[in-house]
Amino acid sequence: MKVLVVYCHPVETSYNAEIHRTALATLRAGGHEVVDLDLYAEGFDPVLSREDRLEYHDTSKNRRKVDKYVAQLEWAEAVVFVFPTWCYSMPAMLKGWFDKVMLPGVSFVLGADGIARPNLQHVKRVVGISTYGRPWWVATFLMGNPPKKNIVRYFRIITAARARITYIAHYDMNRSTDATRGAFLKKVERTLAALA
Amino acid sequence: MKVLLVYCHPRADSYAASLRDEARAALEGAGHAVDLLDLYAEGFDPVMDADERGRYHDTARNTEGIETHIARLRAVDAIVFVYPTWWYGMPAMLKGWFDRVWAPGVVFDINGGVIRPLLTNVRKVGVVTTMGAPWWFAWFMGHPGRMFLSRGVRAICGRGCRFLWLAHDRMDSSTPESRAAFLAKVGARLARF
Repeated sequence: MKVLVVYCHPVETSYNAEIHRTALATLRAGGHEVVDLDLYAEGFDPVLSREDRLEYHDTSKNRRKVDKYVAQLEWAEAVVFVFPTWCYSMPAMLKGWFDKVMLPGVSFVLGADGIARPNLQHVKRVVGISTYGRPWWVATFLMGNPPKKNIVRYFRIITAARARITYIAHYDMNRSTDATRGAFLKKVERTLAALA
Repeated sequence: MKVLLVYCHPRADSYAASLRDEARAALEGAGHAVDLLDLYAEGFDPVMDADERGRYHDTARNTEGIETHIARLRAVDAIVFVYPTWWYGMPAMLKGWFDRVWAPGVVFDINGGVIRPLLTNVRKVGVVTTMGAPWWFAWFMGHPGRMFLSRGVRAICGRGCRFLWLAHDRMDSSTPESRAAFLAKVGARLARF
């Protein structure tokens, strides 16, 4: 499959960097064609500017400054996200990728009736991989797990429910051990080795 | 009261800017002192870089570069946010303000996995936002912005911190009348804040 990996963490020695390396190695070993988008390494600017906002609804112009990222998304049959959960949701850097790349005419089409319709039906597979400082029950019951919903529910909509979506996470990182982190890396491997 | 008005929109002629002005006028009209934090106008950088992430958990060093934001947070009795909801959440600009400024030792302490609030000076949190989708759809999406502000943020403010949520939904099919009505509602509710 053609797989776009969207990775977001600033530190090369972080656990997320390890997940990222594991993900790339597993996907390549599985014979997939991989495009790796490392948002920090790329120096992606997550801020939607005044000019971006002015052109946002004009589908003839709105992709010109993010053309490369839009092309990656339009090429991909699968999208894999690797990111930490900060302040109960995705980092600003990754949120900015959604704000700026998931444009009208790209991920959805806004009808004259003001209703958004899906436009990413070519994406067949989505995988979200995240880490949380807090235990899963805090993320889920107290906070409603926003990063998970952002990936799972949002992609279900913009792919018109055609994509199979998997979300895995290492919760409770504040109290994690080598054993829990090692086990989760194995889970990342298993999940991505089975990607089809 | 002293109120920090956190505003986030790139366009000076946006509906969000009218909401900011309405909010400010209502608060000042009620005798509150408003400190406007306009993230775009101030050129805030929402990206937490490797250096900053490296010292995030080090409470002796994690305030470097964000001192003025911390001082402004600690100086107020209430915070009001005005922002558009993009992709079921706050814009990256505002999310980055939380990522960078709402740090351990600043707004909360972690001890053995238990979080202790430090922003106890804040007794009220208000939110004024716009959403493209209908309200029921926002609930289906888990209302990420609202959950975070009403639960996550309030958990580290003063005990019994009050919460006010004002949202104009279905912005994609809004009318001049619906926008004017919401503007009036924001003014009326914040005048009693």
